[in-house]
Amino acid sequence: MYFFRWEHRVALILAGGVLLLTTLELIRKRRLREEYSVLWVLTAVGILISGIYPRVLEWVAMRITLHPSVLMTFLCVLFLMAILLHYSVVISKHSEREKGLAQEAALLKDEIARLREEVKEVKKQPPEPKPRPPALRT
Amino acid sequence: MDLGDRRALTIIPAYNEADCIQRVIRDLRERAPWTDVLVVNDGSRDATAQRAREAGARVIDLPVNLGIGGAVQTGYRYAWQEGYDVAFQFDGDGQHRASRLADLVRPILAGEADLVIGSRFLESRGLRATGMRWVGIKILSVVLSLSLRQRVTDPTSGFRAAGRRGIRLFAREYPQDYPEPESLVLLHKQGLRVCEVPATMRRRREGTSSIRPLHSAHYMSKVLLAVVMDLFKAPVHLGEEVA
Repeated sequence: MYFFRWEHRVALILAGGVLLLTTLELIRKRRLREEYSVLWVLTAVGILISGIYPRVLEWVAMRITLHPSVLMTFLCVLFLMAILLHYSVVISKHSEREKGLAQEAALLKDEIARLREEVKEVKKQPPEPKPRPPALRT
Repeated sequence: MDLGDRRALTIIPAYNEADCIQRVIRDLRERAPWTDVLVVNDGSRDATAQRAREAGARVIDLPVNLGIGGAVQTGYRYAWQEGYDVAFQFDGDGQHRASRLADLVRPILAGEADLVIGSRFLESRGLRATGMRWVGIKILSVVLSLSLRQRVTDPTSGFRAAGRRGIRLFAREYPQDYPEPESLVLLHKQGLRVCEVPATMRRRREGTSSIRPLHSAHYMSKVLLAVVMDLFKAPVHLGEEVA
């Protein structure tokens, strides 16, 4: 007794295909960095494969005595958790960078202000008379 | 206070402290003229930066509000970059005493510590925390004392001094959420030495503590969680000393 009927398979293949094409199109338009697209591409391929070879999913479900629909739900949740964890990592990385950049900007602004003061001081002073070149001995 | 040829910087993180910042800076210039004063303005919406400059402090303006940890770290980055030998952390609200900075710096000059904490609890006088806050600090101090394998009585004190090695570490890595207690774990992980000296503090005149009494329990549980997480973190690799 098979669980996936052909309607299911068509739906899975369509969903996987649309997701894969969307992801690739976003990368092509440079709106999604490859770095962040790996998980999406993998998921799209996973959905496609389960549509093309549904027996794989059914076999796994049977081995771990789960209904295939439960297995699919479980895989969905797993994927969502993975992508959320990935986002947390990315956000942490970016907030650390943002902090560093803000600090660097503040320190540089201070340095510019100091250099400006120095330039002002230098300009105020009359230029020093140029030292005469030592006479050449012949 | 005679530092010899060593230079000291006092870092004052300030967020909307326009009302008291000038008094704090004047206090420092009068009672501790041997230290340079740096105010790190953490995106204040009032005249903090301007008032601080008027009072003669160097001011670094953060373009966005980073919170206490990010502001203090900016000060440490400045101290490291400018080659200071000692850096003090000093509150902008007037609760710390400039006259006690000399006590903080002694263990560093003697080469006995990389970070010195001014503790309110080593001597039984002066202003101390009360009620829930006292309980919270007590619990935290027990946990930190066990983690660091040395007695820490005032882990939330923001009145501290760091030597060269402390400055270097903090310029590179400084906790963001609860920097005072968390940084002690960080120091311990890196093998740096911490010690405490007695310090008395004033009651704050303006502003409120970042630790509000009603929120003490909530605050402490979050700090404890952060500290426990810190204990699991891998140490930071600093590489060769260049400056």
